[in-house]
Amino acid sequence: MLPSFCHKTAIKKSRRSHGLSAAFSVTDFGPVRTVVLALTFLVCYPAHIILGEEPVTRSPMGCLVPAHDFSNPLWLTIGEQKCLTCHQPGGDAAESPFVLMNPQKVELTKRNDAQRQNRAAFVRMATQTENGASRLLQKAIGNLDHGGGAVLKVDSAEYRLLSEFVRRSTGPDEPASRTNESPQRPFFDGVVMLDDRALLRRVTLSLAGRLPTDAEFAAIKQDGKGALPAILESVMKEDAFFDRLREGFNDIFLTLGVDGNADQTCLSYEHFEKTRHWYQHYDLSHIEDKNERQRTEWKIAAEYRQALLGESMKLIEHIVRREKPFTEIVTADYIMVTPYSARGYGVYEEVKSQFKNPADPFEYVPVKLKALVGRSRPEDQESATGFYPHAGLLSTFQYLTRYPTTETNRNRLRARMYYQHFLGVDVLELAARVSDAAAVTAKYEIPTMQASECAVCHRTLDPVAGLFQDYWRFADQGVYGQRKGGWFTDMFGPGYEGADLPADQRWRSLQWLGERTAKDPRFAIAMTEHVYFILTGRKVLLPPRDFEDPLFAAKQRAYAEQRAQTETIAIRFAETGFHLKQVFQDWIASRFYQADGLATAAAEPCRRAELDDVGLVRLLTPEQLERKVHAVFGEKWGRLTEQMATLYGGIDSKEVTDRASDPSGAMGAIQRTLSNDVACKHVPRDFARPVTERMLFPGIESMVTPGVSAEQDALIRQAIVHLHARLLGRDDALDSAEVERTFRLFAGIVQEARDRKGLDSRENYHCRTQKDVPTISDDPHYTVRAWRGVVTYLLRRPEFLYE
Amino acid sequence: MNDSGMRRDFLKWLGLAGLQFALPWRPYSVHAAEKENVPYPGPYYIVFNASGGWDTTYLMDPKGINEINRLYKEGDILTHGAHTFAPNKQHAVGGLCNEDFFAEFGRELLTFNGLDYSVNNHSPGARYMATGKLDSLAYPTFAALVAACRGGECPLAFLTFGNYSATGNLVAMSRVPYLPSLQKIANADAVDGNERSPYHDDFALARIEAALYEAHLAAEQQPRLPRAERSANMLYAAQSNSKALQRVTQYIPKSVPKERLAQQVEIALASFKAGVCVSANLDIGQFDSHANNDPDQMKLIPEFLAGIAYLLHRAEDLKIREQLVVIVQSEMGRTPTYNAGNGKDHWSIGSAMFLGHGIRGNRVFGATDEKQFAVPLDPQSLQLRPDAGIRIRPEQIHESLRELAGIADHPLSKKFPLGLTDNDKLRGFWG
Repeated sequence: MLPSFCHKTAIKKSRRSHGLSAAFSVTDFGPVRTVVLALTFLVCYPAHIILGEEPVTRSPMGCLVPAHDFSNPLWLTIGEQKCLTCHQPGGDAAESPFVLMNPQKVELTKRNDAQRQNRAAFVRMATQTENGASRLLQKAIGNLDHGGGAVLKVDSAEYRLLSEFVRRSTGPDEPASRTNESPQRPFFDGVVMLDDRALLRRVTLSLAGRLPTDAEFAAIKQDGKGALPAILESVMKEDAFFDRLREGFNDIFLTLGVDGNADQTCLSYEHFEKTRHWYQHYDLSHIEDKNERQRTEWKIAAEYRQALLGESMKLIEHIVRREKPFTEIVTADYIMVTPYSARGYGVYEEVKSQFKNPADPFEYVPVKLKALVGRSRPEDQESATGFYPHAGLLSTFQYLTRYPTTETNRNRLRARMYYQHFLGVDVLELAARVSDAAAVTAKYEIPTMQASECAVCHRTLDPVAGLFQDYWRFADQGVYGQRKGGWFTDMFGPGYEGADLPADQRWRSLQWLGERTAKDPRFAIAMTEHVYFILTGRKVLLPPRDFEDPLFAAKQRAYAEQRAQTETIAIRFAETGFHLKQVFQDWIASRFYQADGLATAAAEPCRRAELDDVGLVRLLTPEQLERKVHAVFGEKWGRLTEQMATLYGGIDSKEVTDRASDPSGAMGAIQRTLSNDVACKHVPRDFARPVTERMLFPGIESMVTPGVSAEQDALIRQAIVHLHARLLGRDDALDSAEVERTFRLFAGIVQEARDRKGLDSRENYHCRTQKDVPTISDDPHYTVRAWRGVVTYLLRRPEFLYE
Repeated sequence: MNDSGMRRDFLKWLGLAGLQFALPWRPYSVHAAEKENVPYPGPYYIVFNASGGWDTTYLMDPKGINEINRLYKEGDILTHGAHTFAPNKQHAVGGLCNEDFFAEFGRELLTFNGLDYSVNNHSPGARYMATGKLDSLAYPTFAALVAACRGGECPLAFLTFGNYSATGNLVAMSRVPYLPSLQKIANADAVDGNERSPYHDDFALARIEAALYEAHLAAEQQPRLPRAERSANMLYAAQSNSKALQRVTQYIPKSVPKERLAQQVEIALASFKAGVCVSANLDIGQFDSHANNDPDQMKLIPEFLAGIAYLLHRAEDLKIREQLVVIVQSEMGRTPTYNAGNGKDHWSIGSAMFLGHGIRGNRVFGATDEKQFAVPLDPQSLQLRPDAGIRIRPEQIHESLRELAGIADHPLSKKFPLGLTDNDKLRGFWG
């Protein structure tokens, strides 16, 4: 009997012990992002769980790894990457006796069977010999006229892995080489979670840009984390949450990055000739001054364009705010318009009664547009219903403009972005190497259809590209229009995952796509991953591919653990009607979000690799940092905008689309400036307020000096505890080392000032003179400046600058 | 403040924090703060990316046959020293024509033709050319790697203006989009950057720094998650090292050039000259000439070459030209045939050029044949071996770049192996 890691009994046991059986058996999760992902969860995820009865070995770095596993790493590194490309139904080697099943293409409940069949196919090939050697090994290195040539080098680790599989498959039965190793420790063993107060602060700052209220603190104190769901429910109804939501999803969809003026690039001359520039004819005759009138027109135009740009993200807000199924981002049969953008579409008169305030350029309401009418009949949009075939984001003018097409691109960019945005599949993420790509290109008349290396992706990508075929207008020409001469015949025809687009569905092809997308299990996974990205600022882990990496096993475990959490949340998301707030709730409740530290240092490379991505530890974005300054000081700093925001790692949604995750020296300089400037502004200002209105120094006056009496020192320490809590979210004791350090800083500055001669007895000029704001000016004991030093110090700490 | 003064300040912080004699295990950040005083002296690495895929047959790998080029014939091909290049003086729109570029820089230039990108999509191609690794998203670009190895403590160690810029978590990526931005951040402890208006008196600021340092060390004594450890170190280093940005202001030119590459060059050069930067990733796009290849390439190639020339001339002015290492690349080439729109599509064979410190010029290695396929090469002799040679891919180029930079055996490089056997590595490539 061959040793097998993925014993059925073991899997059953793991399901029982981890309460996952419902998730596995009830929900059809269908194809997930990659074969790797699916198999990892279904077949390999139990790896660490069932190690109690499975043999384990150690990698060269000492990482505990399950032994004799077909799915990992053999399938991940060889089967899926090297063989499956051709050896699957529809593939170039579909007629060969070695045909594998692609687990992506089978239902979840049948994936174990698929993988068993794949394993059996490998064993069959391994045991067949020719010229005294295994056919499997010979084919892999390009012998026996292997159509795919050499896919492995003889001296590679992958080849050694395959050889070991062949040896075990063909050799005598041998008992599994058990070691005396203990089973792996639970993944989060020794990881310290955030305490309840800190967690509350993290979520209110993250989701609503504010500090927790006293009532929320009281609820947490009384009910612990049990109070969190209700608090989150409430937080996720605040306007600030929806600002954050739009900002987060724009980081993903980047629809604010439409080039040029949106009224011209999104709305075509062909279809909106008479309405898109409505502001040029807007009656401003009541403004007598010509210059003032001109400025008003410019302002209206700017707000109109901003409103147009914002529509896509407002659609997301609308869906979440109204607690609609999030699948509407691909199925909604409406768009969001404002009084201004409605004029651009020419529908203002029809919808104006829906606006609470028709003068508000940014009040959005849902609207269903009529089918577009062109300047000439051929440009009229086909529609069986008479309406524009809205399909959520997919058909918005902004999304289509942000991801335009060209004659040669043939909507493939759109198809690529569709897969990435809505199914979590990055088709170019890890491109397969082709032995001679140029030769392939030259050899075939239509490489994308005829060359297996190309067709393997284009067979999936091109049909979706074809679904966008009626949005065939290039830069600055709007989006809708059919290609003269019809759609390309030298690419796979319109369809989705093997199903052709029925001819009578052509006019609503994106709706047809959206309906299928909403049912595709990858959709729930992708949306769950998007929420993770919004909360953490980084993407979920990718499966490790490099089998030769000595830390492969540790990385694989980290990936599998996170993947399991993602799928658990996604399953719940799907089962509970695709309510996105539930995904936020579930991620926040997870240990991945709450992990905060370690009980003991993790020194072993394997354990460090496992924990490498654990813990939020997110450098605040410019927008988040401004909101935090506002939350703590009552006012934004106001300088992290435009160029400065870019310098601080922000994005412009066009050229710069990825936020910086680590601070450069330039960002360090900005942090210094921010800490200096915010402290300068708010310390003398806060002391000038009545005690009851103070945010920073509610229990102390500026005249209290250190070293005078025990009472005054105690007051100072209490003030420090308050500052630590307010600025850093720390819950420090009066006699803690942290408070002592800050006290020494404060006392040290005051003492040194006292020792120096000739210092001004007033606060720094720039800090004491603030326009229209009372500040404290006199500072005879240098205490105001010392407190300013303290606040500067605290603002530069990781606890303030990171989430 | 001069260097010795800054060093005294640093030691003073230690004193203020009571730490002079109690330093525990050397943390990265202390190391960084100590080195902060020393401007990075070079070499400076600068990568020019022609984003979108350049047509090498209109530059360093001319053909003129088989309908590959419509603007010239084989007989029109020009030479300068070891270089052969396409004539484009008549067709270039603005910028610098090939004739002038090779005439001025040919003797310093090393060209490699017939580079096999292995893929013909932008995204993986850009990643592959930038990192030397096709199938990983974790690898740093060469520019990031060399910055981390040679001067990770520099406040703008790795500057990028676009293209693939992954850092492998080794070093922070810096984006400085506009020259005036540098001015804004140069004196962070003074109101509006005016040195005469400090926010804090010197002694107060020194105590703030000392307290931060002490807090940083205290945190290091606590068990932390690897992410938290890494982030705290990078944050501390970023703030500490940022003071060195003061050195940049004197090198910021009074006027901003109009050309997009020249703007990037000025930011990079000011940062190099101030010793706060090790590498820069420069980029211009729009090379993806699927339609109307020739007019596009005739505009973009001269613009690109003009940017390189601008760099070299300005570096001469600043007296750091001898310390520059210039890498000129793109993520793919363009097909040997024109499509129906007079454009050229993606081609997985291309070229790269190198120039500068440690590079012997006036040499050309590798080749493409008359159909623009790569001709295999013997990496040991660098001679063409159509029958027995191998295809040269970005791995080999990157391995060579690591060797040139003296970082091939650096522990950080070892974290990102390129998987080449000794037989696959290029020998004597740099001369």
